[in-house]
Amino acid sequence: MSMMHASGVKDAMTTTAVPPTASLMRWVIAATLPGIATMSYFFGLGVISNVLLAAAFGVALEAAVLRLRQRPIRVALNDSSALLTGVLLGTSLPPASPWWLIGVGMIAAIVVAKQLYGGLGHNPFNPAMVGYALLLVSFPTYMTLWAPPQEMLPNDVWAQITGALPTTQLDSLSGATPLDAFKHKGNAVLASEFWAANPLPNGTLTAWQWVALAWLAGGGVLMAKRIISWHIPIAMLGSLVLLATLFYLSAPSHFASPLFHLLTGATLFGAFFIATDPVSAATSQRGKLIYGAGIGALVIIIRTFGGYPDAVAFAVLLMNLCVPLLDLYSVPQPTGQQKASPGKPGEQP
Amino acid sequence: MSNAFDFPGGIYPPERKQRSNQSALIEAPLPSRVTLPLQQHSGQPATPCVAQGDTVKVGSVIAKREGMVSSALHASISGTVGEVSTTQISIDGDGQDAWLRLPPLEWQYAEPHALLERLNESGIVGLGGAGFPAHIKARVVERHTIDTLVINAAECEPYITADDLTLRHYANEVLEGAQITAKLCGAQHIVIGIEDNKPEAIDALKQALTNSQPVPVELTVIATRYPSGGERQLIKKLLDLNVPSGGLPADVGVLCHNPGTLLAILHAVRDGQPLVSRTVTLTGEAITQPGNRWVRLGTSVRELLEQTGLNTSELHQVIQGGPMMGTPLLTLDTPVTKLTNCLIAATLEELPPPPAESPCIRCGECESVCPVALLPQQLHWYARAQDDAKLERYHLFDCIECGACSYVCPSHIPLVVDYREAKSRIRLQRIEATKAEHAKHRFEFRQARLAREEAEKQARKQARQAQQRRPSNTAATNSEKVDLRGLRIAHAAAKASVKKAEKTLARVAQEDPKQSLDDLEMQLATAQENLKAAELQLAQAREQQSSEESS
Repeated sequence: MSMMHASGVKDAMTTTAVPPTASLMRWVIAATLPGIATMSYFFGLGVISNVLLAAAFGVALEAAVLRLRQRPIRVALNDSSALLTGVLLGTSLPPASPWWLIGVGMIAAIVVAKQLYGGLGHNPFNPAMVGYALLLVSFPTYMTLWAPPQEMLPNDVWAQITGALPTTQLDSLSGATPLDAFKHKGNAVLASEFWAANPLPNGTLTAWQWVALAWLAGGGVLMAKRIISWHIPIAMLGSLVLLATLFYLSAPSHFASPLFHLLTGATLFGAFFIATDPVSAATSQRGKLIYGAGIGALVIIIRTFGGYPDAVAFAVLLMNLCVPLLDLYSVPQPTGQQKASPGKPGEQP
Repeated sequence: MSNAFDFPGGIYPPERKQRSNQSALIEAPLPSRVTLPLQQHSGQPATPCVAQGDTVKVGSVIAKREGMVSSALHASISGTVGEVSTTQISIDGDGQDAWLRLPPLEWQYAEPHALLERLNESGIVGLGGAGFPAHIKARVVERHTIDTLVINAAECEPYITADDLTLRHYANEVLEGAQITAKLCGAQHIVIGIEDNKPEAIDALKQALTNSQPVPVELTVIATRYPSGGERQLIKKLLDLNVPSGGLPADVGVLCHNPGTLLAILHAVRDGQPLVSRTVTLTGEAITQPGNRWVRLGTSVRELLEQTGLNTSELHQVIQGGPMMGTPLLTLDTPVTKLTNCLIAATLEELPPPPAESPCIRCGECESVCPVALLPQQLHWYARAQDDAKLERYHLFDCIECGACSYVCPSHIPLVVDYREAKSRIRLQRIEATKAEHAKHRFEFRQARLAREEAEKQARKQARQAQQRRPSNTAATNSEKVDLRGLRIAHAAAKASVKKAEKTLARVAQEDPKQSLDDLEMQLATAQENLKAAELQLAQAREQQSSEESS
């Protein structure tokens, strides 16, 4: 029985321990701030209102379900995991999404994906991505239109409250993400024609790239603080870049460059904030590497050949499905289980 | 071999050794009364051999070894035997401290069996914490070739400095004890493994090892990391050998001893002094004079702590052993035993109870610190679900219960407690299963015996009938056609199963001498009974056939 715990000692010479679960969640929330700030700089206050709404829904729904399940409410809320799910889903939605859209997504995330499976630590699927995938499949119109950069209109937020589609998003062409635009390419057939047509509103690509870098910064902090282990993000980005490079080199005229895949869409956000959810990820280090690599590969495959422009949510959910299998086959070999090295003294013939 | 190899995982808890390693190792005051539990070692408890009112000296045997794995117990003060119960013996001291020593032995010239007997008589057990009887450990050479004796001076648990102080004061003696042990087990090398946070002890050892004879001694200083003092971890680190799962260090030609044990061995052999006292680290914020003391076994913990300035109002709990693997004492009115290496009188701020447990989020931190490369998180899951098949698949029994996983768990889950519970539950089931199996084999043996007796009866009857019949009756071929071939097959099968049972028994006895062989003996006897019965039936049938043919 260990009477000493890393969180209870102040005099450790080397701090190798991760912070307690609750502050671990808060650290992740804090690390989303650069990304959220950059996003709202480019895409308007709708990003922040999304996050606040989703977080509020998250906490309220978690409390309601805990009450129905007759579990202690304060203890569970204190771990901030519902708050984190809200922040992650809110960030993933188009800015100033209607309130009911966020609500439906959060019900799917917190009630169905998390609490119905037993609450924190028991959910096989990433709650935020369950919510996102449900919304993407059910309300594609609302989910695929992003207000172009620099339209930080207050009436966006008003539309959010009334539950209508923001007026700025009705222009479907100007509301496409780079990934979406590239997928459909307008009238173009080849990648070069697409780029020559200058299909995106000014600054869209730059905006997405800045946002991606902000996520990278937040993720870097999390890795440096050992809040997340390096295995999943590195494996995911590695396999994503590798596969994208292979495709790109085989036919540069048809496929997007690895850098485009890396810096647009939810790639970096997904790598550091979504795929790293430990609950729904593989558990052993070897398992985590396979899990991350699987997500990266699926992202490229779905983006390239699938019906959806971005694929992080589906890739993560598909790999969540594989986790029990990965856990089963990635058990490390404990010391002493392998045979003693041959030819060592004392060994019995 | 001077470079250190590595084991996976490990943690760096605060060491807190400064508190107890600043003062010299001194004798604790002689207690006026001691209470000696009969079980201060692994294995069977000792059997009392004194009665109330008997006068004893320091070193008088008061309880004898019971069974193979057990250890004798000696009076630790001189005086009168007080109470003798089924669990402990108490002695009221006379303050004389009169000793009864065994004759000294010159270990260089003594016969190994004399040395072994001395260890046995002196009640020496491993003083590192497990308390395995030293004479049994020394007899490992009967089955294994030992190449290296490892002196485990890593002392990786926080707080504890008993080995550190022992080595500072008695480096020469510890090495002499090691030479005795090396002689007993035939080791060709002695390797000392010590963490680099004990520079004084390392210096003392460096000076001592130059004149240690005859087996060469090597000193390996390793980096401080918990749990490098785990037997398997240390062997991996010093020698790059993996002790096989479920096996002993002897399987890779290594014997491991704690410095305190080696010193006790020397005292037993050279001075004829049985194990009646040990070094105990007294530490923690709730005592004012921390340090290491030579403490007579059976001294009350309360008395000992009060002598070192116990601050009762500050005291939160007393931990026996280290903070990682030790246990909190439920009462201070408990005696120091052969297993008490450290007593921590901790304040609440010093070792606060962990916050309430929250759900496991599978962060995997436990995996990265596990020194055995297990998946503690998966084990936790299956332990709570009582999924024993999965627990064994995930190698629960390779867990050394070091507590590194509990130490880092961000959800404050008492993982080791889960594992211990699961282990004892599975052990219990195994015992039940063997019992049931044994009962089945007993039943089979009875059936076989009855069948054999029946066959003998038949044979006698037939012989009698044949004798009566021979002169007159040749027409008595009314008995049904004898299935000679079937009986021959049955006979061959019975013979084979006897051979198989013999083989199994021999193999198991060789592999694991500790295991009870009753059940296998029973199975062999059953097979033998079956063979006898088959032989008789076959002989009977042959006779019948021949008599038929002749008629």
